[in-house]
Amino acid sequence: MNWNLFIKEFRRNSFSLILWIIIITLFISVTMSVYRTFLENQSKIAGMMSIVPAGLLQFKGISDFNDLLSALGFYAVNNIIYMMVLGSIFAIVLSSNILLKEEYDKTAEYLLTRPVTRSEVFLSKMAVISVNVLLLNLVTTLAGFICIEIFKTGPFNIKAFLILSLYTLMLNMLFGSTGLFLSVIVKRPKPITTFCIAIVLIMYFIYTLSKITAGISKIGYLSPFKYVRTDVLDPSYNVSPGNLLYFTGIILLLLIISYRRYLKKDIYT
Amino acid sequence: MQNPVIDITDLSKFYGKSRGIEKVNLEIGEGEIFGFIGPNGAGKSTTIRVLMNLIFPTGGSARIMGMDVIRQTKEIKQKVGYIPSDANAYSSMDVNEFLEYSSRFYQITNGNRRISELSRLFDLDLKRKIADLSMGNRKKVSIVQSLIHNPGLLIMDEPTTGLDPLMQSVFFELLRSENQKGMTVFFSSHILSEVQMFCKRVAIIKEGKIIQIEDIENLRKKQLKKVYIEFGEVIRIESFKINGTKNLSGGPGNVLSFLYSGNINDLVSYLSDKKINNLTIEEPSLDEIFMHYYQI
Repeated sequence: MNWNLFIKEFRRNSFSLILWIIIITLFISVTMSVYRTFLENQSKIAGMMSIVPAGLLQFKGISDFNDLLSALGFYAVNNIIYMMVLGSIFAIVLSSNILLKEEYDKTAEYLLTRPVTRSEVFLSKMAVISVNVLLLNLVTTLAGFICIEIFKTGPFNIKAFLILSLYTLMLNMLFGSTGLFLSVIVKRPKPITTFCIAIVLIMYFIYTLSKITAGISKIGYLSPFKYVRTDVLDPSYNVSPGNLLYFTGIILLLLIISYRRYLKKDIYT
Repeated sequence: MQNPVIDITDLSKFYGKSRGIEKVNLEIGEGEIFGFIGPNGAGKSTTIRVLMNLIFPTGGSARIMGMDVIRQTKEIKQKVGYIPSDANAYSSMDVNEFLEYSSRFYQITNGNRRISELSRLFDLDLKRKIADLSMGNRKKVSIVQSLIHNPGLLIMDEPTTGLDPLMQSVFFELLRSENQKGMTVFFSSHILSEVQMFCKRVAIIKEGKIIQIEDIENLRKKQLKKVYIEFGEVIRIESFKINGTKNLSGGPGNVLSFLYSGNINDLVSYLSDKKINNLTIEEPSLDEIFMHYYQI
């Protein structure tokens, strides 16, 4: 890894990282701040929710109203979209641009004529993605933890909270490696941000569709969201080795292919 | 040649079926100022991009200072400076930030002193944002970054594009001085006069193949000029007879144009008894030179 490149690249992306952290933290804080009000009005809300189609509730991530009564359950249901979807969009946008931007901004010719190997460039950029995703997850998880601590009405299962955070991190990392992979296989150097955001949203859509439509529940396995366990209130909630293997396997596979491809890629300006 | 700084053997690059370069062979000695000339699309940039490991060859090999351009690219780049044809830098940085960033890639101790020295020479404002720089100023930044680490070899691809004549002369003066200290220069251009003025030896590339490697003195002896004469009277092409003319053509009006490879004094004395409204003598295009000398 090249530190000069890593520091420059980290600085270049720091504003975007701070912005995303603020946005996600704000979403989490605002959502959690209504938890107490929700509890006070639970009978009214339960009545209102009883007339909402079950499919729509499932789409929002609510499979059982009682899940919302605990602070951790409320957090898991309401923040999945921010932590997982927004976090994944952040990861894929960052990773799809970090190498490709050098090509379409025509600075790749400058960078690759410095005394650095392709391998060092790739690993430095990959380290920037990892540190960014890790920091985003650390800060937003901490924000989530503080919010639960502030608004909880009883004890909550910290282990389950940490496992959910680990799944979020793995999911974000998976989309991070997907972005990197896509950026090294595109033929023409041009921004692919919109396409990458669409991938995250489509995957989330497939996942929710598979949850609300019994007949097509199997298509959910096409989406990485399916491999994130969100049933934090289940007493048996734990890290599933199969799911962990799925995430680490796909992340490693995408990174290895991207790395090998980048080492042999012709760079044009 | 013993221990060439650049040693290219049968180097080829094909983009699918289309040709980039084909079996290019070239040796450049230590301390040489070597010109690499050819029309646009001839393969100059492709050759340079293979040397800088930006693209991978489909055949042959290339070595710089005895090191393989693919396997030992990092070691090579510690000792090589590169000025690309497009001077692109990170637009969010200011000039000083960019040059300091560049210098940190090298194992050098006097980076800042060298930056100030070179920037002063090129009258470069270190505080300005790269994004706000003109093309000429970006080129100056590119030149400075290529020389920060006192390279043993400087590879340049159309380096003078965007530089005004005054800066071009500063640039060539600096290159001569660095060359006297031992720096080898590989200078790619499509402007023959520039190469003739600066280089000692030249390789001519066309359609991906080296068609000639020649001392610049020999090329000078083959001086070729493009001449346009507007006569003040009607003139017949058949009556215009002077040795060294080629591609003679008439019109529009009383204009006669041709390529001339003879002594310019002979031409002037031949024209002295003729009524002439206008006379233009200019550099021929590279294609015309190639057609004239190499019949390809």
